[in-house]
Amino acid sequence: MTNQNAVTAGKRKSSLEKLGGQKFIVLLVIVGLAIFFSVMSPAFRKYTTLVSILDYSYYIVLMSIGVTFPLITGGVDLSIGTGLICYSLVGGYLISFHGFPVWAGMLVTVLFGVAIGLLNGTLVAVMDIPPFLVTLCTCMITRGLGSIIVGGFGITWPTAAQPGGWFRSIFKINIAPRVMLPIGIIWVLILVAVMAYVLNHTQVGRYIIGIGSNKEAARLSGVNVKIYHISAYVISGLFAGLAAIAYSAIFTTVQPGTGAGFELEAIGGAIIGGVSASGGSGTVTGSLLGVFVICLLKTGLPFIGLQANWQQIITGLVLIGAVLIDVIKKRREVH
Amino acid sequence: MKKKLLAAVLGATMVVSMLGGVASAEEITANGEYTFEIIVKSYQSSYWQAAVKGIDSEKEKLGVTANSNGPNAESDIADQVNMLNDAINKKPDGIGLAACDQEAVLESLQAAKDAGIPVVLFDSGVPNAPEGSVYSTIATDNYGAGATAAENLYGALKDKIAAKDEAGEVVRIGEVNQEATSESITSRGLGFIDKFTELAAADGHTVAVVGNEYYVNNCKEAGDEASACIIIEVAVPAQTTVELCATEAANILNKEDVIGIFGSNQVAAEGILTANGNLGVLGSDPETTVLAAGFDAGSTIKAAVADGTMFGAVTQSPLAMGIKTVDVLTQIANGEEVTDLPTDGYWYNAENMDSDEIAPNLYD
Amino acid sequence: MGDVILTMKGIDKSFPGVHALDHVDLEVRRGEVHALMGENGAGKSTLMKVLTGIYTKDSGTITFEGKEVEFHNTREAQDAGIVIVHQELNMLGHLTVAQNIFFGREFKKGFGIDDKKMNEEAAKLFQKLNIDIDPTDTMSDLTVGKQQMCEIAKAISHEAKVIVFDEPSAALTETEIEELFKIIRDLRAQGLGIIYISHRMDEIKVITDRVTVMRDGTYVGTLITEECTKNDIINMMVGRVIYEDPKTHSMVPEGAPVVLKVEHLNAGKMVQDVSFELHKGEILGFSGLMGAGRTETARAIFGADPKESGKIYINGREVTINTPEDAVKYGIGYLSEDRKRYGVVVQKSVAENTTMATLKKFVNGIFINKKKEEQVAQDYVKSLDTKTPGIDQLVVNLSGGNQQKVVIAKWLTRDCDILIFDEPTRGIDVGAKNEIYKLMNKLAAEGKAIIMISSEMTEILRMSDRIVIMCEGKITGEIGIEEATQENIMNLATREIS
Repeated sequence: MTNQNAVTAGKRKSSLEKLGGQKFIVLLVIVGLAIFFSVMSPAFRKYTTLVSILDYSYYIVLMSIGVTFPLITGGVDLSIGTGLICYSLVGGYLISFHGFPVWAGMLVTVLFGVAIGLLNGTLVAVMDIPPFLVTLCTCMITRGLGSIIVGGFGITWPTAAQPGGWFRSIFKINIAPRVMLPIGIIWVLILVAVMAYVLNHTQVGRYIIGIGSNKEAARLSGVNVKIYHISAYVISGLFAGLAAIAYSAIFTTVQPGTGAGFELEAIGGAIIGGVSASGGSGTVTGSLLGVFVICLLKTGLPFIGLQANWQQIITGLVLIGAVLIDVIKKRREVH
Repeated sequence: MKKKLLAAVLGATMVVSMLGGVASAEEITANGEYTFEIIVKSYQSSYWQAAVKGIDSEKEKLGVTANSNGPNAESDIADQVNMLNDAINKKPDGIGLAACDQEAVLESLQAAKDAGIPVVLFDSGVPNAPEGSVYSTIATDNYGAGATAAENLYGALKDKIAAKDEAGEVVRIGEVNQEATSESITSRGLGFIDKFTELAAADGHTVAVVGNEYYVNNCKEAGDEASACIIIEVAVPAQTTVELCATEAANILNKEDVIGIFGSNQVAAEGILTANGNLGVLGSDPETTVLAAGFDAGSTIKAAVADGTMFGAVTQSPLAMGIKTVDVLTQIANGEEVTDLPTDGYWYNAENMDSDEIAPNLYD
Repeated sequence: MGDVILTMKGIDKSFPGVHALDHVDLEVRRGEVHALMGENGAGKSTLMKVLTGIYTKDSGTITFEGKEVEFHNTREAQDAGIVIVHQELNMLGHLTVAQNIFFGREFKKGFGIDDKKMNEEAAKLFQKLNIDIDPTDTMSDLTVGKQQMCEIAKAISHEAKVIVFDEPSAALTETEIEELFKIIRDLRAQGLGIIYISHRMDEIKVITDRVTVMRDGTYVGTLITEECTKNDIINMMVGRVIYEDPKTHSMVPEGAPVVLKVEHLNAGKMVQDVSFELHKGEILGFSGLMGAGRTETARAIFGADPKESGKIYINGREVTINTPEDAVKYGIGYLSEDRKRYGVVVQKSVAENTTMATLKKFVNGIFINKKKEEQVAQDYVKSLDTKTPGIDQLVVNLSGGNQQKVVIAKWLTRDCDILIFDEPTRGIDVGAKNEIYKLMNKLAAEGKAIIMISSEMTEILRMSDRIVIMCEGKITGEIGIEEATQENIMNLATREIS
């Protein structure tokens, strides 16, 4: 079938594609949404709202950067949401109840994420179990595990005033009374740049795209596809761990049993940003932009007075729109 | 509806002793040497230790034996069921239980009934319990607890509201509820709205309730937004996360006319505090800041109450539940008739949170 | 021809149920183009997969440049200098040409990949081969021919000493084949050993130096191309297998009614203005190269893909077929080229597969009438001579030919009068092939009308009463079996349409 597609595909690069294709559309959507909400709600125009949107976006952006990699292999990682909560609970527990210094708790948090990523990757790549199934299972496991380790209670990371509260200033610093500088965005952008480089200009990234494009061809090229397939999930786990730290710094208290659904926002963001739902293509910067669409909706819709259920419906519609773009693009390639 | 009515009646008829501490009925005496087994959800946590403290003080007072126990964590459901079965085998005069899981304990409750051992549930009910196994359920009266928050918030804002009403200006009170489905959250939310409306009306102010449809439709008096001087705006996030509660709270706190806000559980209260992290509008002075009332405890809320960021909060009282459990078990052993017992919510703020009545109830 | 560079001796390989290679020998010299010939399923591809480390041999030896070797994966074979240009293109459609060529051995610069250098090297490579391809193009944007060239460029870039071409010309146009031959001659002149697998007798005579023939997984013999005739090779290939006699004239009775008539059918680029008639009792061959639009035509008729315009008549009555369900209602059955994906559920039993499409007939209330199901399945196993231990056997355990029979049984249970066979013998070994042929002839004699899409010229010539030839989505000709030759069919199949 691929051969026949190729015959008819030909070379057609529209002017839209030259501008970055879907990413450009998403950027327009972001600008459009920002203007719309600003016009509709005076409160939305405030600087503090911008800081809030950024605050609440960090953990989703970080998850989204990570999950872009399994998505590009044609898989998925559903364990990042509950995983995030689990890693954060464990790290915070060690800090609050076992006297771990904050840096050590953060390290454990990230390493726990890497470990679950390694488990996911091994089950997918070596045992050949469908990613959906594997990560659904680890999603359930991490939800229960975090709760058990900390004894079923909410865990509080050090607040800004407490010793160890320095880690909050990774994301936000107080430059004047009531004025916060959201420096977290700098780190997030740096990570996006690094991972975009990894995806597009290193062998790890190249082979991950190869696995999503045509795994057998990648294998026949003599590439150890298993290792790279695993690494996609390790990256996803690593970023879920980093997201756990962002979450802990912004929201302070972490409740066991939560986190389910976070992964859908990250995956949704990636798909809005142009990651193909069937693998093989996608960009880290696209995922970043896609997440901002979701974050803008999440903050903006309540601000214009829309009730809870409508917020869900509109977010769902936007997602369908994004997936449709992907599907239509593919169909056009076939015919 | 029926539940709501019941809650309203209970709330209205209950004598709320504000900071009166923990009153046990004077007339209870033990007519024998009773032994009770009492099982809490988790023996390690500070919240449940407060309940155990209540149990221990009351058993000494009444001269009965009450052995308390509990699993390490609330998630150790199987351990709790084992403890419950052990308790039944000891054939005590009664069992007190705060069930970790509503379903897992059903068989054991049947066994207790078969063995003729009365069970008193506290903190959480078991809806499907075998008929006749549970003699009484002792749990927080959520409607009354919401009302407690309203009374304290209204008390502090009373003068400001009067001044604004005189000047013809509108004031706004926010309420963030994490959802509009569970019995406990909706009762608290409606309790707050109804009490606040009642107190304001008594002082001659008009009130309108706007926002989430469930609360607008189910409160006693929704009022008219155009003519009201006090607007109670109820927000419910799309999902029960701190983040979305914070967004809803920020939306309300960004409005110029807001003077007070209530978060009806730990997540909603933490959401209000998270939103305030960027806005910085909360405080304890009604003239210059917005007053926030929270619910439950947890170290984030406790810290905010202690430093005055949060005006105060309502806590449930495991201590009182412990005491009442022993009381009711004794009454049953005496052969007296008992009914379900609601317990009060207690208001705490920076001044009283370290007192002996309150401090044990505040878990981390 | 130079000295021997590669020797494979006594290579043996079995798969569950199939003895794929039975002590096969092959010898390749430097500066030689060595043809490897045999019917489909003769074991050529398997032999090459053993050579390049994709399969592990059960026994036998491989000697390369004087040393005994055993490759465990394609990487090891590549590193040693043996590369294969696959029949199925192994391209990564989302990546660029240069990224494809150097996939798995990228040039590095620091932590990153040096895409610039890769583009330059790829450009040099294309220059050397005289091919006009931009290394920065996305692979999926290229034509099949260009993709094939990239595969070759990739093979050469490995500093190969032996290159295996696995049916490289199957998807190429005449001009592209010319270009390919030029490249191959260049490589030969440089002293490389080339193994060339093809079905096209003409090509063998033009480009190769020696021919090794395989049949049924065994080695038959090696000839010097110049010294033998086409018939020598064919005799060796066909060997003991007695095929159904090739048709010399149409077996369709005079005046047989038209059961299916297609008029001006259009469905995307691959189906343009297609019109033809199919008679009762006829086997209508559809010939053409890969990507000519035959499968697409069948799928459009069957309602599996949307049609843009055109009329379809069944028994003279115009019908609307928008879904496969409609097609089945009008008695059309479609046997897909990809059995495992569309034809059978391999993890189900023979009986379940047979009745899957007509389950309604075997249902009493809400229960499946197992007894009736078994009876019907048993009947078809008998009448189609399906070789299975029993009707409870899982289809996955059957050979390709017998799987195909299960698919045929499945369609026969639906009383289909028009059957479209898409590559009916692909991946089926020689003996079983003949049984499928027999069966198709029997079905035609019983009055079923059959469309047979086939890329095998011998199959087209052996089975068809009439042949329709397609090229680039259009019908380019229609020939009765009486006049049909390999040459005039090929001519029509490769005709450039301006």
